[in-house]
Amino acid sequence: MSDTTTTMTRKASVPVPRPVGRRRLWVKAATLLVILSWCLFPFLWLVMTSLKLGDRALNSPDLFQGPFGLANYRNVFEQDFHLNLRNSLAVATMTTLICITVGSLAAYALARLPLKRRLILLTGVLAVSLFPPVALVPPLYEVWRSIGLLNKWEGLYLPYTAFELPLTIFILTTFYAAIPKELEEAAKVDGATPFQAFYKVVFPLAAPGVFAAGIIIFVAAWNEFLLASTFAPRNPEIAQTVPVAIAAFTGQVEFQRPIGTITAACVVVVIPMVVVALLFQRRIVAGLTAGSVKG
Amino acid sequence: MTRVRPATADETRSDVAPPRRRGSGLSERALARVFVAPSLILMALVALFPVLYAVVLSLFEYTRRERQGFAGLGNYVAALSDDRFWSALWFTIVFTVTSVAAEFVIGLGFALLMNQTFRGRGITRAAILIPWVIPTVIAAQMWFFMFNVTPGFINSVFGLGDFNWLGQPGWATFAIVFADVWKTAPFVALLLLAGLQTIPVEITESAMVDGAGRWQRLWYITLPLLRPAILVALLFRTVDALRVYDLVAVMTGGAFDTESLSVLVQQYVVRTPDPGYGSALSTLTFILILGIGLVFVRALGRDIAIGRTEGAR
Repeated sequence: MSDTTTTMTRKASVPVPRPVGRRRLWVKAATLLVILSWCLFPFLWLVMTSLKLGDRALNSPDLFQGPFGLANYRNVFEQDFHLNLRNSLAVATMTTLICITVGSLAAYALARLPLKRRLILLTGVLAVSLFPPVALVPPLYEVWRSIGLLNKWEGLYLPYTAFELPLTIFILTTFYAAIPKELEEAAKVDGATPFQAFYKVVFPLAAPGVFAAGIIIFVAAWNEFLLASTFAPRNPEIAQTVPVAIAAFTGQVEFQRPIGTITAACVVVVIPMVVVALLFQRRIVAGLTAGSVKG
Repeated sequence: MTRVRPATADETRSDVAPPRRRGSGLSERALARVFVAPSLILMALVALFPVLYAVVLSLFEYTRRERQGFAGLGNYVAALSDDRFWSALWFTIVFTVTSVAAEFVIGLGFALLMNQTFRGRGITRAAILIPWVIPTVIAAQMWFFMFNVTPGFINSVFGLGDFNWLGQPGWATFAIVFADVWKTAPFVALLLLAGLQTIPVEITESAMVDGAGRWQRLWYITLPLLRPAILVALLFRTVDALRVYDLVAVMTGGAFDTESLSVLVQQYVVRTPDPGYGSALSTLTFILILGIGLVFVRALGRDIAIGRTEGAR
């Protein structure tokens, strides 16, 4: 809509009508193509490579040179990749659940606090979000080793929760602050306690924000590599997660990464994530921008 | 709201709304405290405590995992006189400056283009999320194989023969920066696009009527108005880039002058375990990264915190 007004003003001020419009259309199409291929082309390479049989994947840079087949995918699951998927799913789900429960309580309280105190608390939360994860690795490794949390799901999702909480609180505070206070007050006039007003009135209204935050936390926990590869480096049966497995696949030849297996595992992971990204595009963008930029 | 005094127990009780029934509900302020507590406790236990514990560990001397005795600041002296620490610091800074700069320029370009294009914006916006959503390890493996001599995809596209991108200093850094820019520039574009969309069209239009050219409009109108969004995007990207681990670990393992601070610290946890020296390094890294972050936050003023939560109102 706004774009038509732009073109109209332009026509009024610069009287060069047709060819410019046509050329602009081409420029737009070209830029679209550049952005799309930037984002998507590597995945074409990934899929094609994962389908190549034998040592073709390693030897031929030509994307469309066969023979093609699904052998690499069979290989992936023979190396217990489904167990890695299970571990990642469990760890990421636990992180998300804890973050959302704990974080939305805090965010709600912050959104309703007077500005001055909110600022102090949010500054503290911001400082935690600046912590580099690597600072936790040596000390937490020692602690986990002595209390037996190495190679355990708990050993991963507890620190993930601490790291994702600041972002959760930022995103959710924005969403809660947008809900008019009058609604809560009305609920209280009708006899609800403050806690009832929160979980019966405000929480359902904030659901889209909570959902967006949930996806973002899940993705972050699913993708984490530093802590996962230090605290649970081996053993898919126990706690090794997907990124660690993808970094650690070994082939028959030592010092040579099995390109076919790795690319196939990547495709297995990428497909559901792309579907999620496409399905919930709007929500994710809203959450991401609420968590960082708010102008 | 003029209530700045700390609330006493009496006040809290008198604060309770009149129509409250039964004794089951908590007052609003008490509720606020109860609500914030779990988050604070969790962050204190799993984020703050380990950082402090690292300081304690760093004061002791270890042989493998056996504690030998008090070392004082010995580990820090050793770290600061270790060439490896300085070269890791140098790589981390080079990586951060180049990747954040490139991501900003490309991200801004994408955002400006997407802000104009009306048809196909939905698809582009969805596509732009994809590099963000996939694990960095996957991006790292993908670009490792594309840059690698075998199968040599990039070499065959540009006709470079057997050029060994990942096997020499300089170009190995380039490959790692490239992979990071590929994955993160779209994300920066997304953040800047959100900022662009808050700039009223009327402002740019009136500048156009006054005869401002395209570049003039960008330089004098759009960029100044986009400043808050740009600063926040730069803050988060910088802090994130300083932590770089995944790309280096997968693409070069730290060889050819590409060892980052995170990779260096991690080395002393499992591969050559030394909790004392490792903690000294991690504490130095922590101070460096948090310090840079805080400098940024200061420069930004506190409007990040306010802007974020007030903007939605």
